[in-house]
Amino acid sequence: MRYAINKTLCVMALLVIAGCGDKQSAFAGLGPVSSRITLLIWIMFIGAALITVLISVLMLISITGPAGWRHKLAGEKSIVWGGIVFPVVTLTALLIYGFLILKAGATLVHAEDPVHISVVGEQWWWRVIYRHDDGHTTESANELRIPTGRSVEIKLSTADVIHSFWIPAYAGKIDMIPGRINTLHFSADKPGIATGQCAEYCGGAHALMSFYTVAMAPSDYEAWVAKERANARQDFQSEGEQLFLSSGCGGCHTIRGSQADGKIGPDLTHVGNRLSLGAGILPNTTESFAKWISQHQTIKPENLMPPFDIFSENELQSLAAYLNGLE
Amino acid sequence: MAEPIKSRLRKLLPWALGLFAGGIVLVLAIAYSGIFNVAASAGHPELLEWLLTLGKSRSVIVNSKPVDAPELNLTELVPLGAAHFQGGCATCHGVPGQSVNPVYDQMLPQPPDLQIHAPMWKREQLFWMVRHGIQFTGMPAWSGDKRDDEVWAVVAFLEALPSMKPEDYRRYARGNAQDNIETQNYAAREFADKGRAKINITACNRCHDTEDAQPTSPYVPRLGGQAKAYLKRALHEYHNDLRQSGFMEPIAGELDDEHINRLTDYYASLTVPVNNPAQYPSSPKLELGRQLAENGDRSLKIPACLSCHGVNKRPDYPRLAGQPEQYLRQQLQVLRQGIRAKTSYGLLMTTIARRLTEQQAEAAAAFFASQSLAERVDHKAGEGLRQ
Repeated sequence: MRYAINKTLCVMALLVIAGCGDKQSAFAGLGPVSSRITLLIWIMFIGAALITVLISVLMLISITGPAGWRHKLAGEKSIVWGGIVFPVVTLTALLIYGFLILKAGATLVHAEDPVHISVVGEQWWWRVIYRHDDGHTTESANELRIPTGRSVEIKLSTADVIHSFWIPAYAGKIDMIPGRINTLHFSADKPGIATGQCAEYCGGAHALMSFYTVAMAPSDYEAWVAKERANARQDFQSEGEQLFLSSGCGGCHTIRGSQADGKIGPDLTHVGNRLSLGAGILPNTTESFAKWISQHQTIKPENLMPPFDIFSENELQSLAAYLNGLE
Repeated sequence: MAEPIKSRLRKLLPWALGLFAGGIVLVLAIAYSGIFNVAASAGHPELLEWLLTLGKSRSVIVNSKPVDAPELNLTELVPLGAAHFQGGCATCHGVPGQSVNPVYDQMLPQPPDLQIHAPMWKREQLFWMVRHGIQFTGMPAWSGDKRDDEVWAVVAFLEALPSMKPEDYRRYARGNAQDNIETQNYAAREFADKGRAKINITACNRCHDTEDAQPTSPYVPRLGGQAKAYLKRALHEYHNDLRQSGFMEPIAGELDDEHINRLTDYYASLTVPVNNPAQYPSSPKLELGRQLAENGDRSLKIPACLSCHGVNKRPDYPRLAGQPEQYLRQQLQVLRQGIRAKTSYGLLMTTIARRLTEQQAEAAAAFFASQSLAERVDHKAGEGLRQ
């Protein structure tokens, strides 16, 4: 019996600890918005713990305490102070504090020169559109690159059903609602990688819809933007590119600078540069590309890319090498 | 009063059970003893014949009730049905103007002469018999699994058959095949070696296009100018029961790799006639088809058809330009029903075909039919991806 209880406790503890990784944790507090949310969490948690202890002590007294104490507890004075005044004051204070936290991103709204990014939730991946200062846009997918120390403004919308955009380490979650554009503001304190997740059930592959956020030092970020804005390197001799174009991949995917200009799936112009494939579920390697192309319906069931198990092993290797080389 | 009846029934129960068991034993004994003569030469006793005929016709009538018979365009369907009849049915049922070989005449029951018997059945009943076959008679079911759409061509033929003259039948059955079965010029020795010239089931020209002839029916694809790799893939899929067709599987089943190689070489090298654009005046349907072919439909996640079926694409993808509209429409339906999902290529297209609306499928078929393949022919198709 004791063994069973110990085991259960261990499993529960492990589950709790699993949530403590920095990458996707609301406790990480990598930016000012999430830091304040983290503080709120701790205040709520500690306050609730203290109140629970207090109530337990009072209950113990009311059951087993001396008659005098019990009489006092049952008195009108105790009820008014403990039962009415205390909760009203505590809850009001917390409410006001909570409202202030909710507006934590508000100072960032008016920040000068924010980074403008649009993210569109799609079944089951994230279309990321960078709106550059000169009005041009470039598309990427399943990865957000942001500079540190600068306000980030993200316009959130959806192409199909309700999704919810959540990077716990940077900000609270905000729903992506059909027909609406919601705006999220946050900023990153220091360079680092965090992960985000769709936080609203959106159909079959919902659980496999995550993404990476990469915060970079401003100079690194500028260098990255310059590279991202450039078209893909053209390599007409490459068998991989020939295969990509002749097999119809360009019907859904864009590779800027080539004939491939499909808008249905993720833009692959610089896909080799990203951290993951399939919306945060495979590491970005040549093997992953080959695996994804030939078995994506097994890796991520129901995803909307048509099954493409038509390539020979050689073709698959050429195609994977070409895609991985799109840096 | 209920009580006495119940107790009387209870007394009868052992008798009933005994009779039932005895019946089973008797049937087993008869079967084991070999008393019952299954010889086709013996014929059926009159009573059994009556019973079997009754059972058969009632079964056909009752089971074909749910079948919804469509309008049949005889001009479009009869040539295709006739060519299949010649390849698959004529051996047993005979053809106009020529009696059945005595070998098949000795079957029990005797395969009926369909010029006389076909009119006795309704359209949906004919469909049901051709689609499902008939037990105990030797009549096989349709060899293309779930390809109900193909069966209607044979039904159309059966409806046209009773009034068909021998020369009409031969014209239909021969299709585009040039060998004239009536005026064979074999020398006597040649004749003695090869026998009477017959329209072989593997004669593609019974239905398909030649240098100077269209396919005999708009439900038959044009093979001239198609990429060799695709033709090879299609024939192998038919041969291995991976692609379903009651017309093509029996034919591909008789072809070996060498045959397939030669045939696909031939068709890939055929010059294709150019469509006359005047035949396809601009219409909203064609425009929708063009939109879909060139741009796809982003909201329905349909990629542009031409990203796979355009110029310089994989040689194992089919070229659709210039294919008959009816054929394309029918294939899209077959794909949408999941009938072609047994191969990875089929599965790929099944996913996309299912995203099309009914209207889009028809528009895409109409658009590709209006296009010409001529300028896109790649004679070296199959050797490499680049032209």
